[in-house]
Amino acid sequence: MRIVCPFCGERELGEFTYLGDAKPVRPEAGASEDEVFDYVYLRDNVAGQTSEYWYHGGGCRAWLKVTRNTLTHEISSVEPAAGAGATKVGA
Amino acid sequence: MVDFSWVPRSPLEKALVTGAHGARGIEAGVSLTEIRNFDLVQVMARRGKAAELAKAAKARFGVAAPNAPKAILASDATLICSGPDQFFVLSKGGKHTMPTLVPALSGPASLSDQSHARVLISISGARARTILAKLSSIDLHATAFPIGAAAATSMDHTSVTLWRGRDRPDGKAVFNLLVFATFAESLWHTMLDAAAEYGVDISHSEELG
Ligand SMILES: [Zn+2]
Repeated sequence: MRIVCPFCGERELGEFTYLGDAKPVRPEAGASEDEVFDYVYLRDNVAGQTSEYWYHGGGCRAWLKVTRNTLTHEISSVEPAAGAGATKVGA
Repeated sequence: MVDFSWVPRSPLEKALVTGAHGARGIEAGVSLTEIRNFDLVQVMARRGKAAELAKAAKARFGVAAPNAPKAILASDATLICSGPDQFFVLSKGGKHTMPTLVPALSGPASLSDQSHARVLISISGARARTILAKLSSIDLHATAFPIGAAAATSMDHTSVTLWRGRDRPDGKAVFNLLVFATFAESLWHTMLDAAAEYGVDISHSEELG
């Protein structure tokens, strides 16, 4: 698998580290126990398109949000995750 | 009373043995040169201040700082992209050090002196691309990686910043590499192993390539 980093270009998988599902959003303070349990423990096991975080530690050290098909490993989009640089390449 | 002498020493001081290495009786296919005594400052834009940093950098260096994986070869410094909204200022002779850059850039950016935290290695010669191909997954063909191209990447699982400098006077490509000081010796041995079959000419220099 190769990932096209929006800052570095296409790189081999060994330069990246997988974090996990990019969908869960941290609940607001005062959220119910069920909401927190859901955020911390519950994950969908999707056969198809997933959104996940990858870290380009062997390259630009930016966090990326990758849309990947778990059946084919086809990657349809790679974007900088929030905070990973204020501007994009060429901007 | 003990006399201390604070003499900066290269992390490669023990590993680097000048002269010929590897295959003998042929012209060395690879030149490995450690460049010593440089000033290296990492400049990272504060959040939302990338445009302001770009302006300040242009005013300071006379050229635009890289906003893509590139090394900008200015007259008295090389500005090397190290990631989104950040770059290295590589120079020599005290022209661009923390005391001189902080007043110019610390508004929109955080600065960090890396002069003794990285080792700078220059790789050139007829087989330079061949040995780098053993260690890197970057396409270093002249059309894909021209003069001024740069990459933050990994070699032998070690983070490096790699860029192509100006060609040697004999027209051969020059690749420059910054590696964290603590990983330099390990990567140096790996490079020597990769290059041994082509014959290696090992040296160190005070000159930036
Ligand atoms: Zn990257």
